[in-house]
Amino acid sequence: MLPSDLLMRRIQGDEIVPKRLKHSEANLATATDVIEVFEAQLGETKGTLEAALQVLEGNDTDYRTKRGFAHILTNSFSEFEVKSPLEPADLRQKVFAASAKQIPSEANSNKVLAQVASDLSQETQTHVTPDMVRAGLYADLQDNHVLTRFDAPNANTLIDRYNLSQAQGVLYRASHIIITAYRNDPGEYKQLFRFLKLFGLMAYIEGDADHGFTITIDGPASLFKASTRYGTDLAKFLPALLQVSRWSMDATLVPPNNLYGPMPDEVHYRLDAECGLVSHYKPGTTYDSAVEEAFASRWAKTKTDWRLEREVDLLPIPGSVMVPDFRLVHPEHEKTYLLEIVGYWRPKYLQKKFAQVRKADRDDLILAVSERLNLEAAGVKLDDVPAKIIWFKGKVNPQDVLAAVA
Amino acid sequence: MPRTATLSFDRGTLILHPPPKGKAWVEFVMWDDRIEKFRLPASQYRQFLEAVRAEGTQVIDKAAQFSELALTVTDSREPFAHQREALEKWKQAGRRGVVVLPTGAGKTYLAQLAMRDTPRSTLIVVPTLDLMHQWYAQLEANFQGSSVGLLGGGSKDDTAILVATYDSAAIYAERLGNRYGLLIFDECHHLPADFKRSIAEYSIAPYRLGLSATPERADGKDADLDTLIGPRIYSKRPEDLAGGALAKHDIIQIKVDLSEDERTRYDACIAKRNAFLKDKKISLGTLKGWQYFVAQSARSSAGREAMLAHREARALAFGTQSKLRVLVDLLHKHAADRVLIFTDSNDTVYTISETLLIPAITHQTKVKERHETLTFFREGIYPRLVTSKVLNEGVDVPDANVAIVLSGTSTTREYVQRLGRILRKREGKLALLYEVVASGTSEERVSERRRGKTSSASSKASSTSQHVKTANDDAGEKQGSLDLTPIAETDAISFEDL
Repeated sequence: MLPSDLLMRRIQGDEIVPKRLKHSEANLATATDVIEVFEAQLGETKGTLEAALQVLEGNDTDYRTKRGFAHILTNSFSEFEVKSPLEPADLRQKVFAASAKQIPSEANSNKVLAQVASDLSQETQTHVTPDMVRAGLYADLQDNHVLTRFDAPNANTLIDRYNLSQAQGVLYRASHIIITAYRNDPGEYKQLFRFLKLFGLMAYIEGDADHGFTITIDGPASLFKASTRYGTDLAKFLPALLQVSRWSMDATLVPPNNLYGPMPDEVHYRLDAECGLVSHYKPGTTYDSAVEEAFASRWAKTKTDWRLEREVDLLPIPGSVMVPDFRLVHPEHEKTYLLEIVGYWRPKYLQKKFAQVRKADRDDLILAVSERLNLEAAGVKLDDVPAKIIWFKGKVNPQDVLAAVA
Repeated sequence: MPRTATLSFDRGTLILHPPPKGKAWVEFVMWDDRIEKFRLPASQYRQFLEAVRAEGTQVIDKAAQFSELALTVTDSREPFAHQREALEKWKQAGRRGVVVLPTGAGKTYLAQLAMRDTPRSTLIVVPTLDLMHQWYAQLEANFQGSSVGLLGGGSKDDTAILVATYDSAAIYAERLGNRYGLLIFDECHHLPADFKRSIAEYSIAPYRLGLSATPERADGKDADLDTLIGPRIYSKRPEDLAGGALAKHDIIQIKVDLSEDERTRYDACIAKRNAFLKDKKISLGTLKGWQYFVAQSARSSAGREAMLAHREARALAFGTQSKLRVLVDLLHKHAADRVLIFTDSNDTVYTISETLLIPAITHQTKVKERHETLTFFREGIYPRLVTSKVLNEGVDVPDANVAIVLSGTSTTREYVQRLGRILRKREGKLALLYEVVASGTSEERVSERRRGKTSSASSKASSTSQHVKTANDDAGEKQGSLDLTPIAETDAISFEDL
């Protein structure tokens, strides 16, 4: 993500439009220039790197683009280290204690440096020069850190990342976002809600699997007043949204204060699945477990009109959401079923899973539960679970599921 | 049998579930569709509980996680009248409110008295790392046996007494919100800012104390302190605390000329910038004009060059070699004194530190080393210290008796507080403040604005080109010595002395 001063955006009607770089020859060349500066500066200090970047910036008016590239490369593709043979803080103490006894002047400084250098040479049995002492004095400052590793991305990747960062930057000012998720198969909602939880956000979900969902996302205190408190969390959430297959987003923003021109009271930022932004988050694994994957492939070979859809439904539960693994749809039946496979053994998981099932209170839910699980030890009772339960050993048999929906 | 209404804390808010009997609760809560429960702002905790308990409604409080503190107070010294009065007023106001006292009037000690009388886990919020360490050292010394921790500046402790920076406390506001019964905001005018105010808003702390020498904010948001902390309950101006030994403080302004090369370069830069400004009809006299200049500088190559020229001119005026020569002279003259050197620019701090081998403190200095360096300075192991802006607010350096300001930007607060620090001095010593300004540069006007002079003085200043090569008093332009308000004796007894 980029700091506010490198964000570029304009206002169009009631909408904020962030800067979007095309993958043009010129932009790719600029990105390559910046990447090459980093490559050339490997082993040099951050200060030198920044000086080199400044030369590259020159009098260009698009210095903010280059600086944006540099920011992303520094924070996501580079490693810096303090390189000093002597611990700088200890060295400072030595030098300043010695110089405290002198009246400050350049001549006296040279004497002190020479003295410390000769002391250190003796102590460490190496040759330490006064210049080395002077250079080591602040080796731990940011500017003096050394670029020790650079994993160069290609220019296209850098432009993608830049465009994503500009889009994220718009969301810093967001009070809430509303996502419309259309009829999706697979929905890939699990990953979305995992990130939602990770960033401490909250969701209000309306709709159903056939027509799509409206998901309003903000934070706990948003209830009382619109604030930008959760803006950066929403920005971090955006790459997770990009991994969902069909969606649109409407973010309500508190107008940024550094835009020019007349400002509406409320501004928006709108995006959809076709926006062309590229997520850099690692995509979630398609299936949570081998059991699910095996079941899906066995289903594909089973002769039946019931179709299996993956992660398409959302069951809102106060304060949370349940995303059942599968949904079963039949072309001639109106009734659909949801299938959740329970195979993971941790007591906490089991307790939560069954509490969710109870709260969701659905009459179309089928739970496939592994016989190997010790539910009793986990404190889970099956008496009042409002779901059909089928038991499985190792693999979930499609015929058992079909028997349950028949 | 219905369950009893329970109040619980959720990331900076409170959840009330199931709804209680009675009706006092209704006006505090909002229905939250997302969780299908009632929610209320964390800061309403105390008013809410007082209201429901007043009508006899039963609510189980699972929100409060703050603990009682057994504070062993090592310091049994008599508080000064103003500290006693302020403490009394605060207690009468239900332990919520803002106390305004001049820099150095013993605000920290007042806060410690408040902690002693309100023994609950306490979060102390401060604007700078230096203040953080000052509080830390004092609390450690005064509440021996209590565990005092830090949040910010590389530390992330989890203690019943926690000193945090505004930034860190705001970042962790959701997590800190129910763990502290008493909040103390030092330099509390920082609190009403957009992001920082969440420290108060997301906290259930029933007891709150705000401290400041200058509570007013340019944006008028200081009015919000009423709700974030409590009403202003006690206020003393520096004059009110007069009495005791009057200390004399001299301000000596020294003007230096740029070297010939620097002057040529400076003039060229200014000419380049001005040509652009004239062409675009921009006046830098107003904030708007300045913003327009910034905007233009991103739109054309000429604008960008003009901005770069402006920056270079500024750097030349602020960090000139001549100033370093004057500094060496001043340090020579005050070889036996405890000298603090201030400059706005970090680069200049490090240039001075590397050239003259004087210990430096900037925002980049690590927490532990900063503490150590200041300790050494107080103990006299380091007689000189060079710092950038980080030491600006109310940091206690009782032994400094000479300050040299090597350029600076204007805000009244900064100036008063910088002075205030030097004024914290031992009896009988003369506190001296030098201000070294490059003549014929915009810096001169900044300096005058800072002193509250009218702009007409600037024409006079530029025509009086004082060539200062040494820092003898008669060579420097001596301004009328200011009789600044004496700081009450409280300062002479600093906690560090205990």
